[in-house]
Amino acid sequence: MSAEPASDPTHDPSPERGGHCKVDRVLEQVRAQLDLDAEMEYELLAELRGHLEDAVAAARARGLDEERALAEVAARFGVEEVGQELQAAHVGWGTADAVVAAGLPVLCALILRWLVFAPDGTAVGWREVLVRPAFWVVALAALLVPLLRFPRWRYALISWAFFWAMSVIFFAWPAVHW
Amino acid sequence: MADQIDQMRKGTTTMAILKLLVDVGEPLHGYAIIQRLDARGEGYFRFKEGLIYPRLHRMEQDGLLESHWVGEPGTRRRKMYVVTEKGHQQLEVEVQRWQTFSQQMDQLLGLEGA
Repeated sequence: MSAEPASDPTHDPSPERGGHCKVDRVLEQVRAQLDLDAEMEYELLAELRGHLEDAVAAARARGLDEERALAEVAARFGVEEVGQELQAAHVGWGTADAVVAAGLPVLCALILRWLVFAPDGTAVGWREVLVRPAFWVVALAALLVPLLRFPRWRYALISWAFFWAMSVIFFAWPAVHW
Repeated sequence: MADQIDQMRKGTTTMAILKLLVDVGEPLHGYAIIQRLDARGEGYFRFKEGLIYPRLHRMEQDGLLESHWVGEPGTRRRKMYVVTEKGHQQLEVEVQRWQTFSQQMDQLLGLEGA
């Protein structure tokens, strides 16, 4: 999807569109139903703004005043349902990303454990581990792969935090043999 | 009755959008799609207008549509939709399926040739 300029699509400050500022109220109601990343929400709301402004203009051309035009447009638009459906349409991809992202940290944590512990279960120690290039390769891979793979950077950070949590657990219980 | 019509319409909305965009032959934004669908249906099919957007986005995710923004920053910008090659193929399949279904239903109800 194409990028939009970084500003708030629920607020239109241009004076020539002063009469359409009430569209902001409708967009805020839609936004209340959304829990997506900022860029995605921006794009969705920018698209809906165009629709609402056209619909209000058409209603006004039929002789309705601003308030009645907006009320009619909002009723026809289905504010709450639209927000819920948009959320459902877009969050599914994020959830799938998150599920996939959960596998990589576990794999990387297991590799790290293999690097830290010798086959007989004795730890080589953090100092030695930290100078091994393989340690940094694994740690960076656990961060960079999700960052490159997933459009939402927060999933990459969550995935990385999960990787370290798993690593700490694996290190904390060295008696556990895998 | 309105619920039954709504259920029947929901199952065919994707086909209706694809057919409209193919017939028009040029990119359209969501509001224009709604207006033209409403004109084609002569107001018979009533639905929440905003629900066209989740449908358009799902069709885009499925590769049936492509979109692009038009308009300069600072002016009103529009997200325009066009049918992809996959969308054309899907439309062909769905229209064929609909024609077969429609003919079979007419036959089942004894309406053929009526």
